[in-house]
Amino acid sequence: MALPLEGIRILDPSQVWAGPTCTKILGDLGADVIKVESARRMDIARGDARAAPGGMGFYPENDPGPDPWNREGKYADRNRSKRSICLDLTHPRGVDAFKRIAAHCDVVVENYRQGVMDRFGLGYNDLKKVRPDIIMLTMASQGATGPEAAYGSFGVTLEQTAGVASVTGYLGGDPSTSGVLFPDPLVSVVSVGFILAALRQRRQTGEGVYIDLSQREMTTSILGDMVMDYTMNDRAWEPIGNRHRTFAPQGIYQCRGSDVWIAISVETDRDWAAFAQTMGRPELIDDPRYATVIGRREHHDELDSLITAWTSVRDAFITMSTLQAAGVPAGVVEKGEDLVSDPQLVARGFWEYTGHTPAETRPYLSRPFKFSKTPGFTRFPAPLLGADTAAVLRDIAGMSDAEIAELDGLGVTEDDPLTFAP
Amino acid sequence: MPNLASPLAGVKVLDFSGGTSGGISTKLMAVMGADVVKVEAPGAGDVTRAQGPFPGDAPHPEKSGQFLYLNTNKRGVTLSLEHPTGRAAARRLVVWADIVVENFRTGQFSEWGFGYDEIERINPGAILVSIAPFGQTGPYRDFRGNDHIIQALGGLLYVTGDPKREPLRIGGEPSEYFAGLSAFAGALIALTYRDLSGIGQHVDVSAHEGIAVAQMYSALAYIFTGAERGRQAASPLYRVSDGQVGVSLRQQDWPGFCQMIGRPELEQDDRFKDMAARRANQEALTALINEWIHDKKKQDLYHEAQKMGMTWGYICDTKDLMESPQYQHRGYFTEIDHPVAGRLTYPGMPLRWGDGVWELRPAPLLGQHNAEVYGDILGWSQEDLVLMRATGVI
Repeated sequence: MALPLEGIRILDPSQVWAGPTCTKILGDLGADVIKVESARRMDIARGDARAAPGGMGFYPENDPGPDPWNREGKYADRNRSKRSICLDLTHPRGVDAFKRIAAHCDVVVENYRQGVMDRFGLGYNDLKKVRPDIIMLTMASQGATGPEAAYGSFGVTLEQTAGVASVTGYLGGDPSTSGVLFPDPLVSVVSVGFILAALRQRRQTGEGVYIDLSQREMTTSILGDMVMDYTMNDRAWEPIGNRHRTFAPQGIYQCRGSDVWIAISVETDRDWAAFAQTMGRPELIDDPRYATVIGRREHHDELDSLITAWTSVRDAFITMSTLQAAGVPAGVVEKGEDLVSDPQLVARGFWEYTGHTPAETRPYLSRPFKFSKTPGFTRFPAPLLGADTAAVLRDIAGMSDAEIAELDGLGVTEDDPLTFAP
Repeated sequence: MPNLASPLAGVKVLDFSGGTSGGISTKLMAVMGADVVKVEAPGAGDVTRAQGPFPGDAPHPEKSGQFLYLNTNKRGVTLSLEHPTGRAAARRLVVWADIVVENFRTGQFSEWGFGYDEIERINPGAILVSIAPFGQTGPYRDFRGNDHIIQALGGLLYVTGDPKREPLRIGGEPSEYFAGLSAFAGALIALTYRDLSGIGQHVDVSAHEGIAVAQMYSALAYIFTGAERGRQAASPLYRVSDGQVGVSLRQQDWPGFCQMIGRPELEQDDRFKDMAARRANQEALTALINEWIHDKKKQDLYHEAQKMGMTWGYICDTKDLMESPQYQHRGYFTEIDHPVAGRLTYPGMPLRWGDGVWELRPAPLLGQHNAEVYGDILGWSQEDLVLMRATGVI
């Protein structure tokens, strides 16, 4: 059975997280994704050309090696199943080459700061001239228009300006950002759908489209009930820690070991009865303080202590299984190591193994969906910087060997970042 | 007449899903032009109809903010799948559909006779999208999971919060939304393949896997370096006179920042000369920033810093979002008239589609389109509808 997106070609100058993660999913499902960087301006997720051990990058065994830009873990995961070319887009010949490739692509995905592609001469109107039905998705942090369009952002600032941080934080405490920069993955997965919707529209009408996605707006779009409560009741939400807005008790409780925790969430009176029974405290089921959700909310602090006394001497995984067997929602707060061996993720083949050599082979994150008939998998490891430049220029842009050599001589296709590293 | 954006025009979606994950997945399809028929149980309907928020905190099934937001642009019918006649009607609707979406308890839809094999038999081109906390297979398939549990098992919780305290969940229902957006993407992948091959299939979406994908850093730190990333001190937020501001000082930001705070001499100060020095003297730096920043206003600081090229943020609550000049310029928030809930402001679509305009229509009343849908698709007469209502089928 063929991969579902075979035959679709994506030209991908996107960087860092949201853009690359979107195109990696498309690549896993069969699209031919051509990632565009330059040795002068690599995807910053590759890290520094001369990375020091112990820096911010995730290098195998903490060793950046002679070519750290090809070894960084976040980069590797987000860019597998793609080809890599180097084009200096500040050089007119680089821009020309980009256009000649774009003429044979269905989609361009980019997440530069607003205006950068236009300055290169590679905006939608420029690309439309070489490929009239091209689809272009731009995912600037605040969209391509408006007074803040040129503002910079990181995932961590988007969490602040989109409203997510205003409801994240310990009970009674200040708003807080998350530990993962949630807007990036959110934007990446939904963009897969938007691109395929545009391709469907093109199949129906023959027309391409320019899609102007705002990462900030997308992030606010997951706060429907918060916005509607303000709309209806002028009420602003505050952080409630790990508690639930309605039911109780819900929290994160310490288990045996260091920094080991379990999440427990009692939704109904029936859940409460099952939970009290499992804790060996059947007398609490009908205790007037706890029998109803109103009582449980009122006595939440007291319940938290009581639950912690029970969980803190117990193994987290066994406690989860025991509670789930009794029908009580519970889940271990998994660490990286737990995730890699998580029985559910392992049983469903979530981890996909790849690497340039057997020694480099590691588990990679797959995707949140599976298809019953069509495959989808990490097809090959992230490309070495510029590994496919010559092949793409020859096979897709139709350049002669002489022309490719000329670009090389001009430095347009330079692929050794050490040439420019300070 | 504006040019209406409707990239999914002609796609027929039969939506048995409820709650947040299912709601957002088919809402996107509906606003993008698909004909989404939302099927709710007679009586109570979608679970979000009971959850609110409600105007004045007075519960009303047609005034739930979350329901109204998640179900714009859909048609709504009632149908009992507990009832054999209801199931027979549902099978005929499946024949009509291109995409069928469900997020029942794992196994429930099959027990009613709508396993993928059966759907394939009655409509070989149909795409069945199932959304579940842990997916359709595996040892946790029957575990109960809600947003809190999924954030824990997916690895998101462990890395959020204060390193000296318990892990912290991200507010709202991020895992529910992430699962819904994944279902939207998965459905479009399957539709792409179907348009080319004529072949439908079953798309199995797991909220757990969604969060495992989203947390990324946490797993990759362990996989590549063998060390846990853990909870790191959150990005510094500074208290100002009317809220909080996220201050970010990269290497190149320092001279501009010294100018901004009127302390140009600090540019040469050895304690702050580079990132390493600033980290080593974090306390002194924090005190310095606090002293300068505490009486300023959040939006003034945000705009001033951004205009100087510094990537700062500020904590926006809903009021700030609604008043944001950027959101106003792009028309992100949208007013929608609803026959019962009235005219309210909703979050709109987060993207612009060429020069087209999104058309936002109100969520359906419970059973609002029964006559239309059952009349057009199943050929039921008014008498049939009365009979079906009387027997509790619709």
